[in-house]
Amino acid sequence: MPKLIIDDITVEVAEGTTVLEAAQAVDIPIPHFCWHPALGKAGACRACAVKMLEGPVKGIQMSCMLPVQDGMVVSTTDPEAVAMRRHIIEWLMINHPHDCPVCDEGGECQLQDFTIAAGHGIRRYSGKKRTHVNQDLGPFIQHEMNRCIQCYRCVRYYQEYAGGTDFGVMGSAGRVYFGRFQDGELESPFSGNLVDICPTGVFTDKTARFRARYWDYEMAPSVCSGCSLGCNTTPVARYRELLKITARKNEAVNGWFICDRGRFSNSAVNDPQRPRTPLVDGRESTRDEALEALALRIAETEQLYGTGSIAIVGSSRLALEAALLLPQLAQLTSAGALCYFTSEEERATTTSHLGLLSGGTSASQQEIRESDCIVVSGCDPLQDAPMLALAVRQAWRDGATVYVVGDGIVLPCEFTAVAAVDAVPLAAAKKPVLICSASCNSDHPAGLLVQHSQLKLAVIFPAANSYGAAQLAGEQGGVSLERAVASGKIKGIISVEADIPAHLLAGIPFVAALDWRMTETVRAAQIFLPTTAWVEMDGTSINNEGRAQRFKKVMNPGLPIRGLDPAGHPPHLHRTVPPGGEAQPAWQTLALLIERVSGEPVTEPFSGRWERLRGLDAGSEGVMIHDL
Amino acid sequence: MIPIELKAELQGRIAAAVTNREAAVDVMKALQAHYGWLTDEAVVEAAGLLGLSPLQVEELATFYEMIYRRPVGRQVIHVCDSISCWAMGGETLLSHIAALLGVGVGETTADGLFTLLPCCCLGNCGEAPTLMIGDTIFGGVSLEGAAELLDQQRNR
Repeated sequence: MPKLIIDDITVEVAEGTTVLEAAQAVDIPIPHFCWHPALGKAGACRACAVKMLEGPVKGIQMSCMLPVQDGMVVSTTDPEAVAMRRHIIEWLMINHPHDCPVCDEGGECQLQDFTIAAGHGIRRYSGKKRTHVNQDLGPFIQHEMNRCIQCYRCVRYYQEYAGGTDFGVMGSAGRVYFGRFQDGELESPFSGNLVDICPTGVFTDKTARFRARYWDYEMAPSVCSGCSLGCNTTPVARYRELLKITARKNEAVNGWFICDRGRFSNSAVNDPQRPRTPLVDGRESTRDEALEALALRIAETEQLYGTGSIAIVGSSRLALEAALLLPQLAQLTSAGALCYFTSEEERATTTSHLGLLSGGTSASQQEIRESDCIVVSGCDPLQDAPMLALAVRQAWRDGATVYVVGDGIVLPCEFTAVAAVDAVPLAAAKKPVLICSASCNSDHPAGLLVQHSQLKLAVIFPAANSYGAAQLAGEQGGVSLERAVASGKIKGIISVEADIPAHLLAGIPFVAALDWRMTETVRAAQIFLPTTAWVEMDGTSINNEGRAQRFKKVMNPGLPIRGLDPAGHPPHLHRTVPPGGEAQPAWQTLALLIERVSGEPVTEPFSGRWERLRGLDAGSEGVMIHDL
Repeated sequence: MIPIELKAELQGRIAAAVTNREAAVDVMKALQAHYGWLTDEAVVEAAGLLGLSPLQVEELATFYEMIYRRPVGRQVIHVCDSISCWAMGGETLLSHIAALLGVGVGETTADGLFTLLPCCCLGNCGEAPTLMIGDTIFGGVSLEGAAELLDQQRNR
C-alpha cells in the first residue's frame, strides 16, 4: 500500500486511491465539484488543486485525478495551491448569480461552502453574466441553469450511472447547457438524485422549494419504507410537515442514491385525511379511554364467543418493535390466531422464499453491483424494487452479463433474454446473483442454490418489513388471517397497521385498529388508536436481504401547520401536544395495552435473541439477523 | 420528412459504421443539406435512424459549429477567429465582411444569400487570415479579396 504525506500527516491507503480520497481519509477536506465518490473523476472543475512538494510528480496538481504513489509529499495549504483554488472559485463565480438568499439551495450548497472556504468574499468582476433559459423538467425537479458551474456531475450521473437518455449536455465552450431536447418531465425513474448530486442550485426539489432553510430542517437518518430494499434516506421536515426525502449513503445497500418513488412519496405522511385521534364507536376520545374500551371489548368478545375468538393481526409494513410484541398480546388475550399476513398466498410465498435466504445466500445491493452474472427471473425490478435495477446497471457497466427470464421486462442496461434460468451459464460465473420476486411462486431457486454454491439471491418481497413478518410468523406459528377467519372461530380482530380486505372483516362483530393511514380496516373499526408513521418514530425494519436497519424519529406527529385554518390560530385550548399529535409508535400503544391486561409494564420490545438490536446504530450498515 | 432514397442511403452508411454514433455527423450533415439547416424534425429523424435519443443527437449537433440548428442563408461564411488568424487581421476581416454584407456577426442577409459566423481554427493557419464559404476554404484573404469573393459568390 502506497504511503504518502499530506500536510505533515502520514497516510497509507490502498493502491488506486486518489490524493483527494487519501486526504479525506485523514479528515483533510479538499474542495471539489466534479469529483464524486459514486461517479469518480472528471477533472473538469480544477477546484481540488494541491501542491506536490516531493515525489514522482511536482507542482500544482488536481488531487482528484492523481493516484497516490509512494513518497508523495502533498500540501493543501501551500500559498500557490491556496491561490490557485481561490482563483478557480472566483472564475466559477464569474457567471454564478450573487443571490444566495433567494436560492432554494442556499445553506446546503457546496459552491457556497467552498466559495467561503476559498476566501473569495468580494467580487471583482462587474461585467455581464451569461444567462440561460430554464426548462420545465416536470413536477418534481426545478431547473435553474444560470447557477451552473459546469461540473458535469448531473450528466455523468444521469446518462452513465442511471442510463437515462433524455437529459444531457448541449453546446460547447462557454455555452454548455445541461437539459433536455425539449421541455418535459425527466424520464429516468432515478432523476431525483440530480437534486442531491448537483453541488449548487441548478436542480432543486420542486415539491419542497422555498419551504425551509437547511438550518431549520428537522432531519434524522431513516430507512425508506417504499419497498422491501430498505434504502437509506434522510427525510426533511419542518412545522410537522414532511417536506422532502433525500438519499443517505449506505455502501452495502443503496450506495449514494435512491429511486424517485422513494424520494417523492411523502404525501401519505402529510395527508390531511390521516386518522390522528383515538376513536371509540366513532366518538373522539383520549388514548386512555380508547385503551380501556379496547381491553374491555377484548374481554367481552372472549366471554361472548369463547377463548380463541380474537385474532391479532400485524403486517409486513409494521415495524419490528410492534411485530415483536404481538405474540405477547396474543398469549395474554388467549387469541385464536396470531397473523403477520392477511393473505394466505402472501404468507406462503414470503415464508418459502425466506427459507431460501438462511445461511448467507442473500445478495445485498452492493453484491449485485459487484456481480459478474445476473439473472432477473420472473420479476420486474424497475416496478417492484427500482434500486435493484440501478444496481444491475452498475454491474453491467463493470462488464457483468445480464440475463432476463420473462417478457415485458425493461432494465436500464443491455441484457440477454433467455427462456429459462437453465440457459444461463451460472457455473462459469464467479459471483452470480439471481433476482426473483417472492410474489412469484416457484421452487426453482432452491434447486439452483444446491447446484451452484456460489449463487446468491436477491428476493423482492412485497413490503418494507416482509422479511421480519415472515421470520416472526415462522417462529411464532403465525397463520394468515384468511385461514383464521375461514375457520369461523374469529369474532374479534385487533389490526396493527394491517390492510385487511373488506370481505374478511364482513362477518366480524368486533374490529379494533391501530394505524397511521386511513384504511378500510380503520373505517370498519369500532375502536381506533392512531400510530406514528416511520418518520415520526424510532424503529427497525428488516429488508429483503435480512438486514435489520434502524430508522430514527425525524419529526413530531401532528397536523401540518400548512393547511390549518388560520381562523383557528392561535388554538383556544390549553394543550401539551400539538393538534393531531396524539399518535405514538404502535409498539408503545401495544405495550400500554399489554400492561393494562397483564399488569406488567413493557419497557423494551427487544428481548431474547433480538436483544442485540437494542443499540443498533442508524448510521451503520445494519445487522444481518442471521448473525443474531 | 426525408425522401425514401436519402433514408435508405443513410441507413446504409450507418450499417457500414462500427458504431451508430460514428455515423452521426454524416447523418446530420446529410439532413442539413436536405433541409438547409438541421431542423427540430431533422434531429428527431436523425435520432430515429441512429438509434439514439433526440437529446443525444442534439448534444452532438450543438457541439459542432458547422451543424446549424437555426435557419441559415444559402451560403454560410465562417471567418476564423482563432489565434493565428486573429494575429494576421482576422478580426478586421470579420468586421469588414459584416459591413460589406450589412449584417451583424451571426446574422443572415435580407436576401437570404449569406450568413456570417465566426468560427474556431479551420486548420489553415499557414495562410491566415482564413475564411470558409460553403465547403470551400480561402486563405490569405485581404479586405479587397473579401469583397471580390463575395461578388463571385453573388454572381454564381
